[in-house]
Amino acid sequence: MANPSKELKVRYQQDLMIWRTPLLRAGLLTLLFLYILSPVIWESFVVTKFLDDIGLTMTTLNYAGVFAVGAIGLNLLTGYTGQVSLGHSVFVGAGAYFAAYAGSTWDLPFIVWLPGSLLVGFLIGFIVGPLALRLRGNYLVVVTLGLVFLGDHIFRNWKSVTGGSTGVSVTGASLKIGPIDFRNFEVFGHEFEKSQSFFWLIWGFVALVALLVKNIVRTRPGRALQAVRDRDIAAEIIGVDLLHYKTMAFAISSSIAALAGALFGVLQSFISPIDFGLLVAIQYIAIIILGGMGTIHGSIIGALVLGSLPRLVENISRDYDLPGVSGDQGGIGGILSISSLNHIIYGILIAAFLLLEPRGIAGIWMRIKTYFKTWPFSY
Amino acid sequence: MDSSRILDISDVTLRFGGVTALEEVSFSVKSKELFAIIGPNGAGKTSIFNCINGVYKPQNGSILFDGEELIGERPVTVARKGVGRTFQNLGLFMNLNLIDNLLLGRHLQMKTGFFSGALWWGRAKNEEIKNRQKIETIIDLLELQPYRYQPVGLLPYGIQKRVELGRALSMEPRILLLDEPVAGMNLEETEDMARYILEINNELGVSILLVEHDMAMVMDIADCVMALDFGQKIATGSPKEVQSDQRVIAAYLGEAS
Repeated sequence: MANPSKELKVRYQQDLMIWRTPLLRAGLLTLLFLYILSPVIWESFVVTKFLDDIGLTMTTLNYAGVFAVGAIGLNLLTGYTGQVSLGHSVFVGAGAYFAAYAGSTWDLPFIVWLPGSLLVGFLIGFIVGPLALRLRGNYLVVVTLGLVFLGDHIFRNWKSVTGGSTGVSVTGASLKIGPIDFRNFEVFGHEFEKSQSFFWLIWGFVALVALLVKNIVRTRPGRALQAVRDRDIAAEIIGVDLLHYKTMAFAISSSIAALAGALFGVLQSFISPIDFGLLVAIQYIAIIILGGMGTIHGSIIGALVLGSLPRLVENISRDYDLPGVSGDQGGIGGILSISSLNHIIYGILIAAFLLLEPRGIAGIWMRIKTYFKTWPFSY
Repeated sequence: MDSSRILDISDVTLRFGGVTALEEVSFSVKSKELFAIIGPNGAGKTSIFNCINGVYKPQNGSILFDGEELIGERPVTVARKGVGRTFQNLGLFMNLNLIDNLLLGRHLQMKTGFFSGALWWGRAKNEEIKNRQKIETIIDLLELQPYRYQPVGLLPYGIQKRVELGRALSMEPRILLLDEPVAGMNLEETEDMARYILEINNELGVSILLVEHDMAMVMDIADCVMALDFGQKIATGSPKEVQSDQRVIAAYLGEAS
């Protein structure tokens, strides 16, 4: 601390800032820089080219961005409000199918069908939410598990909208905002690829959602949600309306999930019920456990790690011929396929983090920060 | 009705199946009074609090707060009318820090909803700053300055009890229900807490309903004491009168045969 007076807060406003220290503000600038530049330099710059080569392509990052949006929504519900939900994939699916239907069949413009997706998610969450007033802990988990199967049934059988088990194309949904079209993105006559323009679109939404949710959790409604998580009876006695806050937590979380679903749809171009099954729901849970429950940046970090892990595993097992793992050419008598190896790694990661670091990567980061803050003392 | 009575409880009966937790209990708390309820374990002291708060619904009787019936109201409504409470075994939000806990006490005084909260600039921010100033006066009053940013779950027990008192106080209540505020505290901490309670009662003019096992403290600070045993009122009066009441002594020490 070369200049201690700079560390002194003299107004409450300074205490309320998100980017409180010069270091954090530098970090914000770096992120902004990376956001703008990454798509342009990804396949040429030495470092990013290496990442690209080992599987971290623009497309991988885009999928991670979609997961990050959904994970922030789930973290609001599970991490902040304490309502564990296995039904997140249904909300994601609802948003995706709405995007497909409203964008293609109704031919609505981007700025209409996207908020429409949000609204659909909000309404579904609003209906499911009150269940949480009566059910707690494991019982709620089982009910939301039921939701996954209910959703799966609807996705497979409401064929006029969802296309049944085969799925439906989302390529018809427009991505135009005024003169900008994210499918044919052009700046000064230079045309970008889909994966590049989608990076700007998706990670822009990640930043927006992260900021809005961060604002919610640091003000009155967010504190009320955390009070419900920590001690619901005490919360009620100081005037927190449990029905309102549990319902709103579900509604907002599911509308963010629907946004993630809509982005997922346009990114993948084609969606089918497999994309919104139990495995996806567990993947979202895994992301927030790994990243850190009750943190926004944890959701994003978790999504980046778990979003890129399958690609890394795929690449490594292809390049190095891991013993016992069949390669993608049909395999040479391995006992595992690459995808089951991925599932095993998922399982191990969830178990390991719950046992060793329940606060996730955000918790590890916190400890490193505290260590340097208090250095050279250990307390 | 006596206008100086802030809380008027008459003939409250509460049953759980065959167990009668409270039987026709009646008492009233005057405005700015420090009223204490004593009694052995299981006498029904905390049950009275839960009836007032709307957590339990008594089968019989009435609970008038400033002339308004509280029985049948939801806990949130009771809080809105100005009833603050602390818990016997701590009702703090352990993962949140002191500031957030106290600001949660101001939940009903604040208005920011999900939408304006998400936007932050404008109403939400102004409200945060304004209410932060309010809770700072409580931090000063209860001498909690060193603990602002720690999750309250990591604070020592005696401090946690004080944080909970602060949270109830930041609701700007007209009556405070304190459920064993000095349980498990040493002599020094007990004296500190008694001092804070008196300060809140005398200087802020908040009526206090106190449940406590620490007889020395109750007898020192209470204006009026009621003794309960097995859900029945056995004595009311000044601390001195109750202390020397034969039925109270019998309830605590057992009947001399």
